[in-house]
Amino acid sequence: MTAPRSPSDTPIVSVRDLSMIFPTPGGQTVALQDANLQIMPGEFISLIGPSGCGKTTLLRLMADLIQPTGGELLVNGGTPRKARENRAYGYVFQAPALMEWRNVLNNVKLPLDVMNTPKAQRDSRAREMLKLVGLEKFERSYPWQLSGGMQQRVSIARALAFDPAMLFMDEPFGALDEITRENLNLELLRLWRETGKTVVFVTHSISEAVFLSTRVVVMTARPGKIEGIVDIGLPHPRSDDSREDPRFFEYATQIRELLKKGHS
Amino acid sequence: MTQKNVQAAALPLRSGFGLPLLLIAALGLLGLSVLLAGQTAPAVAWPWLVGVVALLLVGAVGIRQSAQGETPLARILPAAATLILAILAAEAVLRAYAVPTGLIPTPSKVAQSLWAARNVLLLDAYYTFVLEALLGFVVGTLAGLGLALLAVRFRMLERGVLPYAALLSSVPIVALAPVIIKAAGLGWPSKTIIVAITVLFPVVINAVRGLQSAQPMHLDLMHSYAASPAQTFREVRWPSALPFIFTALRVSSTLALINAIVAEFFGTEGHGLGFRIQIEVGRFGLDIVWAAIVVASVIGISFYLLISALERYVLRRN
Amino acid sequence: MTTAPTPTTLPRAARRPSNLFPMLGVALAALVLYWPLMLWANSGQAARSLASGADLGCKTALACATQLRNPVIPAPGQFASGFTSLSVPPLAPTSAPYNALVTGGETLLGLALASVLGLVLATLLVRSRSFERATLPWLVASQTVPIVALAPMLAVLLGQYGVQGFLPKAIIAAYIAFFPIAIGMAQGLRSPDPLQLDLMRTYRASPAQVFGLLQVPASLPYLFTSLKVAATAALVGSIVAEISTISFSGLGKMLAENSRASDTVALWVIMIYGAALGIVLVALIGGLERLVTRWRPPA
Ligand SMILES: Nc1ncnc2c1ncn2[C@@H]1O[C@H](COP(=O)(O)OP(=O)(O)OP(=O)(O)O)[C@@H](O)[C@H]1O
Ligand SMILES: [Mg+2]
Repeated sequence: MTAPRSPSDTPIVSVRDLSMIFPTPGGQTVALQDANLQIMPGEFISLIGPSGCGKTTLLRLMADLIQPTGGELLVNGGTPRKARENRAYGYVFQAPALMEWRNVLNNVKLPLDVMNTPKAQRDSRAREMLKLVGLEKFERSYPWQLSGGMQQRVSIARALAFDPAMLFMDEPFGALDEITRENLNLELLRLWRETGKTVVFVTHSISEAVFLSTRVVVMTARPGKIEGIVDIGLPHPRSDDSREDPRFFEYATQIRELLKKGHS
Repeated sequence: MTQKNVQAAALPLRSGFGLPLLLIAALGLLGLSVLLAGQTAPAVAWPWLVGVVALLLVGAVGIRQSAQGETPLARILPAAATLILAILAAEAVLRAYAVPTGLIPTPSKVAQSLWAARNVLLLDAYYTFVLEALLGFVVGTLAGLGLALLAVRFRMLERGVLPYAALLSSVPIVALAPVIIKAAGLGWPSKTIIVAITVLFPVVINAVRGLQSAQPMHLDLMHSYAASPAQTFREVRWPSALPFIFTALRVSSTLALINAIVAEFFGTEGHGLGFRIQIEVGRFGLDIVWAAIVVASVIGISFYLLISALERYVLRRN
Repeated sequence: MTTAPTPTTLPRAARRPSNLFPMLGVALAALVLYWPLMLWANSGQAARSLASGADLGCKTALACATQLRNPVIPAPGQFASGFTSLSVPPLAPTSAPYNALVTGGETLLGLALASVLGLVLATLLVRSRSFERATLPWLVASQTVPIVALAPMLAVLLGQYGVQGFLPKAIIAAYIAFFPIAIGMAQGLRSPDPLQLDLMRTYRASPAQVFGLLQVPASLPYLFTSLKVAATAALVGSIVAEISTISFSGLGKMLAENSRASDTVALWVIMIYGAALGIVLVALIGGLERLVTRWRPPA
């Protein structure tokens, strides 16, 4: 059984020969070179690669937070800008980026406030999201009272609050302990299956990438390039048992080989 | 960032138009002033005002144009042009409305008075800056550093004295000045004492904070080397305190001059910029008042820049 | 789902040992030092008075040190009578508490004016790079300039144009206070994290929303820090303004009168009121700060 896909076969994200060059004091940094990638609606894509290989850059390009220096990029059938203006995606940053003056509940409500969601729905919607990440008891706490991992979970709840069609997640679970991380992995997979959202997920963990994804994009650094793409054929729904599947190890080895190849 | 670039590109004029526009505005304003110098006072003033406003608008566009880009000129020119245009515009408007010198003097009148009274003002500046502000600044700084060292050495002293220092730093010096001048006399030393007291508090507070800002890990490291307290102080505590101390010195450098001037409002033996300002306000000699303020400003800014330069030099070497 | 830790595990600021006892100790030491200092400071003047043949009702300089009409440092009895004569009844036009209230009111009004002006200026500074480049160097320079030296002149000028009573002092206070507020606010409006700005961008927030939901709340701590600096400066401004104009009330007017009359006991009492007023103003702002920025961890 494969991932739930929407009937159309047009990609929701289309990356063609995409390049990003940053001007730096000592010349230029090629953060991304000639990247090619098609993401179908409802896919769960992981980006994996060494530090500085351009994972964040690729995500920020899709989110229209920076503009490419070359190539073509379509998101949600249009320009990234249009996707952003249609509020088509929720972005989870590498750091929580919470507003220190808002308590947990109000932080999750922030997008609803900005988007003028009917007032009556805001509280219940935010509480629902907090429950999802297991922080319903902390809705009145302020960010400084939470641990780094708890803050990151608030930022995930915030990204989900306005129910975007796509989720861009930049190492969302990097700051979490192993058990919490695995729990949230399961929770994220359940959410993905139930809602059919498209997820682009950055991680440094090979096993996390295999466990979560329909496909894993392996990237290499200097210059940032896509080294290869691995299809993960593990059946859905996945559970802790999936980690014992012999294919799980095959895929992990395949990814590790690609990473090593890029390293040499 | 990107939005700004788009804006700049969309402007109808290239940034090269900035300088000519500024020149037109400045020369135009100058011309108005020269035209007004001929006659005694125009019968109707408003056309002149309209002219000044129009030229200022031209100047504003010029400033906007010349502020584009990251060249050194784009950083400096807008500020310089603003000052020059403001002075020229004030000159023209004051002349057009024939505002009496006793009320608001024209900038040119201030410049004349500054030159005519230069000896008096320089002597005033010597009293106010060298004898009162500078000496008080040095005394207050040294006393503050001494107190801070004691406070760090003896925890009890720190916990007893520091809260008072924080409290007293919100006391207005104008409240202290009359009493201290009554006690120490009308001569300059009373003002020196006042300046020293006002410099003392920020120096103590910041120096204590700085001396305690040394990282525990560095202190442990020195401990593991079996370093003597003096070595630990020299190698770890003092360098980490320096940035804090210089922050206090920068703030105090401006406070010192300002407070010396204000303290002089409460009694002198007839010298000092504050005395000069007060006495001339009383007899409507506002051109001298402005001249004194110009002198004080130049000294204040120079002193501040000097301390900042010293800070950069010392902190770079450490 | 993950088992959430209970809210009782929230980090709390560790309690530091109280400063009360060391502070009391220092106060006690000051009290003990006060007596010999007072005698020493006054005995010179007492000796001179005795030598000139004045009848002070006492024999030696040391004995007379506590009885001078205008002592350098007043004796406890003189302090007590000075305090009562200047404080009772508290709301009489000649009493120090009443005049302190007047000066405090002028200063607070000035601070309110300055905050509005500072916010406008800070917004312009943050919005327009041309405006920033044209004016920021002068705003910074103005901090090093004795602006308060302009107060006497401004007072005369405002008087000429018929601005009288409470207002000119408040305007002068505002004039002195709005520079630090503007600069502090501009710093605060720029303080949001780039990621927070990116976040608002992903929501397609309007510039007004970015301003209201992100920049303004982020700038509040900066506003209060600069308000505390500005409060003391504004207080100095209103007192100097009271001295330089024809004023009928305010601590500045009392200072000027008693300075002319050389009534040193009164000057000491007014100084203490002035000091207390400064401390109370800053404490008021601190209280308001805690009220408005409850979301911050305790210091
Ligand atoms: N705004 C920028 N200006 C200049 N260089 C940049 C900028 N953003 C990223 N880079 C450079 O681009 C490269 C890729 O950065 P990116 O943040 O995408 O890496 P990453 O794969 O997300 O790394 P990590 O796993 O550490 O988060 C790096 O070499 C980085 O220095
Ligand atoms: Mg990254």
